[in-house]
Amino acid sequence: MCSRLSNYLIGSFRRITKQLALLFLIGSFSVQAQEINQTQKKPASIKPPAQWLQTSELPAEASESDNVKKKPGLINTAVNWFRTTDLPGDLQIHGFASQAYITTSDNDVFGNSNKGGSFGLTEAGLNASVRPLPRLLVSAQVLSRRAGVGNTGMPRLDYGFIDYRVYSHEANQFGIRVGRLKNPFGFYNDTRDVAFTRPGILLPQSIYFDRTRNLGLSSDSVQLYSDIAHSSLGSISTQFGVALPVVDDRDTAYSFLGSAGAELKGRLVREVSYIGRGIYESNDKRIRLAISGSWVNIGYNPGGINDFGPGSIQFSPIYFSAQYNAERWSLTSEYALRHFVYDNNFATNSASKNLQNLSSFLSPNDFYGESFYFQGEYRFTPKFEGILRYDVLFTDRNDRDGKEYKAKADNHFGQFAPPAHSRFAKDITVGLRWNVTPQFMLRAEYHHVNGTAWLSTLDNVSGSTHQHWDLFAIQGSYRF
Amino acid sequence: MNLFQFLIRIQFSKYCLPRNRACFCGALLICLLYVDTEAWADGQYEIVTYPGVSEKTLSVNSLRSIFSMHLKTWSDGTKIRVFVLPDDDHLHQSVSKEKLNVFPYQLRSTWDRLVFSGTGQAPIKVNSSEEMLNKVASTPGAIGYLWRANINENVNVLQIK
Repeated sequence: MCSRLSNYLIGSFRRITKQLALLFLIGSFSVQAQEINQTQKKPASIKPPAQWLQTSELPAEASESDNVKKKPGLINTAVNWFRTTDLPGDLQIHGFASQAYITTSDNDVFGNSNKGGSFGLTEAGLNASVRPLPRLLVSAQVLSRRAGVGNTGMPRLDYGFIDYRVYSHEANQFGIRVGRLKNPFGFYNDTRDVAFTRPGILLPQSIYFDRTRNLGLSSDSVQLYSDIAHSSLGSISTQFGVALPVVDDRDTAYSFLGSAGAELKGRLVREVSYIGRGIYESNDKRIRLAISGSWVNIGYNPGGINDFGPGSIQFSPIYFSAQYNAERWSLTSEYALRHFVYDNNFATNSASKNLQNLSSFLSPNDFYGESFYFQGEYRFTPKFEGILRYDVLFTDRNDRDGKEYKAKADNHFGQFAPPAHSRFAKDITVGLRWNVTPQFMLRAEYHHVNGTAWLSTLDNVSGSTHQHWDLFAIQGSYRF
Repeated sequence: MNLFQFLIRIQFSKYCLPRNRACFCGALLICLLYVDTEAWADGQYEIVTYPGVSEKTLSVNSLRSIFSMHLKTWSDGTKIRVFVLPDDDHLHQSVSKEKLNVFPYQLRSTWDRLVFSGTGQAPIKVNSSEEMLNKVASTPGAIGYLWRANINENVNVLQIK
C-alpha cells in the first residue's frame, strides 16, 4: 500500500516537474524575445500592482494572484514588445497554453483520471497571421494536444490557409479561403482548443465530441464566405466549403468502426465532403442564431483478405444554435441531429468469426443520433463567471436507453457486448471561471454524468465502464 | 440605447396616452432630455483617424464592422488598422457600449474567434490615451478613439452618421 502511494506520488511529482519545465521553457523564450529588443521603449503597460489588485477584495486571493502575476511578467514584456513594435506586413503572433487536472469517480477521461486524478489534458498553440496586401491574409496555427491515448501532444498543423477578400463594400464582404481550415460548425468549433473561448474546461461533449475531434476540427478545403450587415436588421455571416476531412487517427476509426477499429488492417480514407454555416447576429450582438451542417464522406480501404470489404460511411449532421447575451448573463443552446449511414459493403470474406460478427453488426446501418444542451453563464464581475449546463447525447435517437443496441450486441458478442449505457450520456455541469488577468485564467468545474456515450473508447474498456460517474477538473490557461 | 428609448416611448404611449395628454407630452419631454444628455455624453470623445485617411464620415454600420475586424480596407483600398485601449478602460467601454452598441466582452470574443481560427486579426492594443494619439497620428490607415481633451491637429475626427 505504502509503496503504491509513494509510486503514485513520485509519478505525479514527475508530471508536475514536466509542467514546470514547460513553463520555464515558455518563460525563457519570452526572456529572449525581450533581450533582443532591449533598446525598445520600456513597457508602459505594466500597471502598478496596487491598481491591478483593486478588484480582488479578499486578502488571501490578493496574495495568491500576486504570485501568479509575477510569473507571466516576463511573458507580458515579450507580448508588449510584439504590440509596440511595427512588424512588417502587419504580422501578428498569438498563442495559448492550458493545463488541466482532471479527477473522476469512475471511467477515464484524458488519462488515468479515476485513480487520484491526472494532468492528462495539455493544450498549447501558436499562430501567426500576416497581411502582405490589404485584401490578402495568410495565417497558420500549430497545435499540440495531449489528451489520453488518442492525442499524444505531437504538434500538428491545426490550420494554414490564405484568405482573399474578393469584394468589399461598406459593411458587406465576400471572399475565398484555400488551405487547411477549421470546420465551421456550431458556436465553438472554430476555436475549441482555446480555453479562453470555451464555456468550460470541457465543451458540451454531445455536440463537440473530443474523441472524433480530428474529424470535426479542421479539413483541407476551399471555402467561400460572406458577411452582410444591415444598419438596423443585423448581420449574416455565411461560410460554405468543399473539403477533405482528416480521418487518419485511431480515435476516429474506433468511433466509426467500434472495437473492430483495433483489429482491422485497412484504414479510413477521406472523400470529398461539404460543410457550411450561417450565423445571424443582431447589431448589438445580443441575439445570435446559427445553422450549420455538413455532409462528410469516409471510405474504408481494406488492408488484406482478413478484413472488412471496402465500405463507406456517410455522416451528415445538422446543427441549430441560439444565444442571448445580456450584460451580466448569456444563455446558449445548441441542438444537433446526426445522420449515420453505413453501406452494406462492409461484408467480409474473412474466416474469422469475430470479424464476421463485427461486420454483420456494423452494416448495413442507418440511424440518427441526437444531442442538445442548455447553458447559462453569469458574470458576477468582469473577473468572475459562473456556468451551469445540462448536456444530453443519444447515439441513436430511436433507441435512447440503448436497450435495442444491447440486445443486438448480446447476440453478436455475448459477454463482450458493450453496455446499454454506452449509447447515451446526460451531463450536468457547474463551473466557475476566474479571469486573474486578461492573459491568465483559472477554472474549476464539476460534472455529474449518467451514461458513457462520449467517453473515449481508446481510454476505456467498454465492458468495464460505470454508468453513473462524477468528474471534477481545474484548469489554468495563459494566452497572448 | 435606441431600443431602450423606443421601449420607454411605447410604454408611455401605452399607459399614459389614454389617460391624459399632458402625461404623454411629459414623457416625450423626458425622452428628448434623455436624448440630449446622451448627445452630451457622446460629445466627450471622438472616433479619430490617421490624417491621410480620406473618409470624413462613416456610418455606424461600417464603424461596427471595422471594430469587429470584418471590414479591413478603406474605400480607397488601403489597409484599416484598428487601435483599442484595454477592455477595462473607461473610454473603451464607453465607445463600445455607446457608439458600437455592444458590450466589451462581446468585442473580445469576436476578436478571439477571428484570431484563433485564423480568419482575422486582432486590433492593436495601446495602453494609454497618449499612446493612442501617437499611434493613430503616425500609422497609415489608423482608426481609434480619444477623449476630446486629448485630441490635437495630428489626427482627423471622423463624423459618425
